[in-house]
Amino acid sequence: MLSRIAESYFWLGRYVERAEATVRLLSEHHQLLIEDQSVPDGLGCAALLESLSMPTIDVQTPRALVRAVVGSELDPSTIAGAVSAARANARAIRESLSQDTFEALNSAHLALSRGVAFAASPGVALHGVLERLLVVNGVIDWVMPRDEAYHFLVLGRELERIDMVGRILAIRHDLLWPSSGPAAALRAAGALSAYLRTGHPITGAEVRRFLVLDPAFPRSMRCCAADAEEAVRGLQRQGVSDSSLLLREVGMLRSELEYARLSPADDVSAFIDESREAARRAADEATRSFFRQHGTIVWSH
Amino acid sequence: MPLVTLVQNPGKGATVTAVPTMAPFDEMLLPDGRPRPDHGAIVETLSGLGPSGLVERARQRDAYLDRHGITFTLGERERPLPMDLVPRLITAHEWRHIESGVVQRLHALEAFLSDIYNDGEILREGLVPRSLVTTSTHFHRQAWGLIPPNGVRIHVSGIDLIRDEQGAFRVLEDNLRNPSGVSYVLENRRTLAHVLPEVFAHHRVRPVNEYPERLLAALRSAAPLDVADPTVVVLTPGVHNSAHYEHAFLARHMGVELVEGRDLYCRDNTVWMRTTSGPEPVHVIYRRIDDDFLDPVHLRPDSVLGVPGIINSARAGRVTIANAIGNGVADDKAVYPYVPAMIEYSLGEQPILPNVDTYDLSDPDERAWVLERLERMVVKPSDASGGYGLVMGPSATDEQLAKARRDILENPRDWIAQPVVTFSTCPTIVEDGSMAPRHVDLRPFAVNDGSSVFVLPGGLSRVALPEGSLVVNSSQGGGSKDTWVLGEAHVPDVETPVEATGSSVPWPPPPAPERVNAPDMHDDRIIQQERQQQQGPSC
Repeated sequence: MLSRIAESYFWLGRYVERAEATVRLLSEHHQLLIEDQSVPDGLGCAALLESLSMPTIDVQTPRALVRAVVGSELDPSTIAGAVSAARANARAIRESLSQDTFEALNSAHLALSRGVAFAASPGVALHGVLERLLVVNGVIDWVMPRDEAYHFLVLGRELERIDMVGRILAIRHDLLWPSSGPAAALRAAGALSAYLRTGHPITGAEVRRFLVLDPAFPRSMRCCAADAEEAVRGLQRQGVSDSSLLLREVGMLRSELEYARLSPADDVSAFIDESREAARRAADEATRSFFRQHGTIVWSH
Repeated sequence: MPLVTLVQNPGKGATVTAVPTMAPFDEMLLPDGRPRPDHGAIVETLSGLGPSGLVERARQRDAYLDRHGITFTLGERERPLPMDLVPRLITAHEWRHIESGVVQRLHALEAFLSDIYNDGEILREGLVPRSLVTTSTHFHRQAWGLIPPNGVRIHVSGIDLIRDEQGAFRVLEDNLRNPSGVSYVLENRRTLAHVLPEVFAHHRVRPVNEYPERLLAALRSAAPLDVADPTVVVLTPGVHNSAHYEHAFLARHMGVELVEGRDLYCRDNTVWMRTTSGPEPVHVIYRRIDDDFLDPVHLRPDSVLGVPGIINSARAGRVTIANAIGNGVADDKAVYPYVPAMIEYSLGEQPILPNVDTYDLSDPDERAWVLERLERMVVKPSDASGGYGLVMGPSATDEQLAKARRDILENPRDWIAQPVVTFSTCPTIVEDGSMAPRHVDLRPFAVNDGSSVFVLPGGLSRVALPEGSLVVNSSQGGGSKDTWVLGEAHVPDVETPVEATGSSVPWPPPPAPERVNAPDMHDDRIIQQERQQQQGPSC
């Protein structure tokens, strides 16, 4: 397939994941700021913005936080920006993308451009956006053939997911809100019910370990790495050009997490940083191997 | 859910004007209409939204509750529990009073239950008439001599409080068997923060979400003493029970199995649950089915909800049943008048939360006195929960009063009478989006882990939604309110959470790495792509 198309699938996967994870995170974080006022609003807002690599100036209230993180179409770190970038990539591959996928993405985009950030109760409005993004993922899962394009999309999604789980954990809800913070981090990752079934106490350290190392929860870093590895193997089966360097990155990450040398008392922080770094390297490698093999040709006049 | 008795301020109708009542205490507004201290910001925020804004939020609330399936089953229909958007505030000072009163009352009630199911000293002393205890439908001889591992019988309680005309909190009734509604306390908070975040802006509200954790800890500490890592389950009658939502909620949030009677069986005095990997022993059963249905061997033989042999297992000390069997004798309405005396007897203290005046109809003098004034009394069956058979004197028809009179004379032990108390009111949003006073009660939930009693800062405020309604519970048009317990006045400094939490991990965390984004399309390329069509001259 065309490298340009492959790259668009990769980024479609990434941006949809980024948008969905950020909606969840914002929604939970906002709810936490409202419900548990033991942390000053300014500090609580800054914690989320910093983890999303966004400027913290002038954001002092939960409402301003929603406005900032929903953001604008111009900044792909924000929700509106990520949805808009996902849509731009979907447009570029419209001929091969199912109509349902494009429609669902488009309606998320339209809902955002109608001004969710200004809605009086952001939780309600954000849920509408989340629902549409879930439809995008559902349609992809249901109708997309498991071909090369699909594997590129999954690869992008899983690498972004590792990054987003890292960002959720970087907020350190457990330090800011010792009683309600750890549960909020789980909710932000959609993991509360899954975690509760393990019977472990909801403490900061246990929650962090779960989101990094759990073998069964699909959004744990470990499961994401395994899925990314599987996507690369899928690409190999489809006969793409040399992908051994990429496979090495994701495979090593997966086995680091799967066979982690970690005693129960150890903190998982080192794994979080390492995983995010490995995901970044893998994305660079994918770009080098598939999307831009020969660098950019520059015309001189 | 037992009935809340709510009395509308009289004013219309011949029978009602006969009742000498004072104006009800309003939770939010002073008699002159100004907000009480601490309530100003809420009143301002809500009036700022205006009726149309509030109607819109109410619509969002219903959508949220429906979507989350936060419902109770009434008849055949599932419906959302009506939740009012105006929160009910309790100041830190008021809460300290409620908390200490509830804890005191529970200690006395625990002592009472422990005594009547063992030595019966209270009965020998004549503090509570022996006949009253032994004739209670909820007194189970099967529980005699059954001593719970950590001594706790009332693991979970919900003591209903009301506020009288002077604003003083009083105990309306004790619920020591299966008080329900705590899931709505947690869900109300989440729902309100979701659809009406503005109202939280000016208050420090104490969180309620630690309840499942506290409950689990209490249940685990109630386990048989020789079990290191007890298995706790929630026993539900099944999906057709009106409180099934709550059973599932608690099981999910505690991370334990929700079981039905048919999932459990007893062998060799151990209770087992049937799992795909074979039988697994169960050590603590938080049961949400009534005593009578718990064990067909000892109690109702026709019960299909219970587990045969479970009482023998409990007696053998292999399993703990929470709440304990036979607690109902202590929340019997005919025993209720004796609780203040129990507090004085077992703790040597004066009751912090007074009772509502109650007449024991088995006493001939009190009975005669009550029968003369039946039209001004509330008459309640002493053993029923859910408020069935309650007669509200002022609004009752002549036939109803005559029937109540006959019933009382026929079987005085089965009834109690109370003067009509005008409950406090709280502004509540009515259909057109305006606010009107409606009567509220308060059910604080308490969990006893054997070493201390934890009272959840909040509780369920139930509100009579229809105007003029006298008797309300959730199955008769009652709603609820998010109940805020305000934090102490000082705001702790959290600029340095590292020291506050004693964690070795530094806060703030290091800055996050920059985002990686897809490469931008070159501007030239966009412009050239745009121009590749023969377009009209206006372009």
